[in-house]
Amino acid sequence: MSTTRHLVNRQRRLASAGAARVATEAAPPERKPRALNPADGRPSSPTGEAPKGATEKTAEETAGPPARRRLPGSRGAVRSGLRRVLSVRTPVVLCILVVLLGGFAAFAATRADSLRSDPAARNAALTDPARTSEVKGQTEKAVAALFSYNYADSGPADKAASTLLTGKAVQQHRGMLAAVRAQAKDQKLVLTTTVTESGVEMIDGSRARVLVYADQSSTRTAGKKPETTYAAAMFAVDVARGSNGTWQISGIDTFGQGS
Amino acid sequence: MARMTTQPLLIAAMVLTLLAGGFAVWAGWSWYGAAHDDAAAYAASRDKVLAAGEQAVQNLSTLDHNDLAHGLDMWQDSTTGDLHQQLADGRVEFEKQVQQAQTVTTAKVLDGAVTELDDRAGKARVMVALRITVQAPKEKPAAKDSRMLGELTRTSSGWKLSALGQAPVGNSAAN
Repeated sequence: MSTTRHLVNRQRRLASAGAARVATEAAPPERKPRALNPADGRPSSPTGEAPKGATEKTAEETAGPPARRRLPGSRGAVRSGLRRVLSVRTPVVLCILVVLLGGFAAFAATRADSLRSDPAARNAALTDPARTSEVKGQTEKAVAALFSYNYADSGPADKAASTLLTGKAVQQHRGMLAAVRAQAKDQKLVLTTTVTESGVEMIDGSRARVLVYADQSSTRTAGKKPETTYAAAMFAVDVARGSNGTWQISGIDTFGQGS
Repeated sequence: MARMTTQPLLIAAMVLTLLAGGFAVWAGWSWYGAAHDDAAAYAASRDKVLAAGEQAVQNLSTLDHNDLAHGLDMWQDSTTGDLHQQLADGRVEFEKQVQQAQTVTTAKVLDGAVTELDDRAGKARVMVALRITVQAPKEKPAAKDSRMLGELTRTSSGWKLSALGQAPVGNSAAN
């Protein structure tokens, strides 16, 4: 029983396989039977067997032989596929890398720039000792020269005024010394200014600001007894570096006081 | 066919990646350098010292006889070391004087500069140009400019004044 059924089954299978092979040989493109099936499949479908078998065959045929057919060339196919995938994917990965690296670079560059352009970092007062002492030293000398005056010889004062001042400081200085110049001859006045303390507040390139404490002594020798008075001064000066590398006073801030 | 078209693309992508990588390394280095710049850190300290110094000098020049306790607490809070000790020691006596004089003293910082800063030792010197206004009862307020010199010391709670005085006036040129 079992053997006969087995045989029958086997025969059926072989027959169907043969039919399938015939089908494939007869109609190489799979679409054809499928396209044909609906045409004559409608009336034949109720009867079952034949169309069913046909569809099974086509299913078998599509699943089986093509897979087997691919096998011999599969290694090459995989390799070429891999290569294709690699050659397509590598530029994509590289592009992503470019975007990521470029993004980081741009971010880092802007961060670095904002750190460097920070006003506190730009201000070189004290952080650049050489420049700071240069500004401090030249400012002290300039202030001393500009606010000293000798009635007997106004040469040094005139020279200082013409070389150490720039911008609006010229006018400010003229106004501050006007009274001294007017009275100097009559009172035989000698004004001496000494900077006692100075601190560089800010240096930004060729501009700087210095806070100055100065003592001023004015001696009048016109009377029988020479009399000397002292005055304490505090003011801030803006200085600018001229083309010859010397710092000139460009502004005098007396904090709203007369002189 | 595919290889012939993708190869130049691949090379171009690699070159671009290298360029981007180089740029990223340079920018990252630049950022690191800017963030760990000693000069920048020193500059930040300098500005901190100046702000603390100006505030402390202003605090120590401000006192309202109506609010003595708070004002003197502020004085002590702005100082450290010897100056702090002096203020604490003289507090009772000083309170009496101010209560008798009934003055209200306010101060305005005109300008300030750091003259010395030793970031490691935690010591600094500042100049603060100050305008002090004293209002005594039934009198016009009197304004006076003061040339203050202060010394600051770094403490666990920030920079504080350890010495404060006025710049001496004019006998250097006299004799």
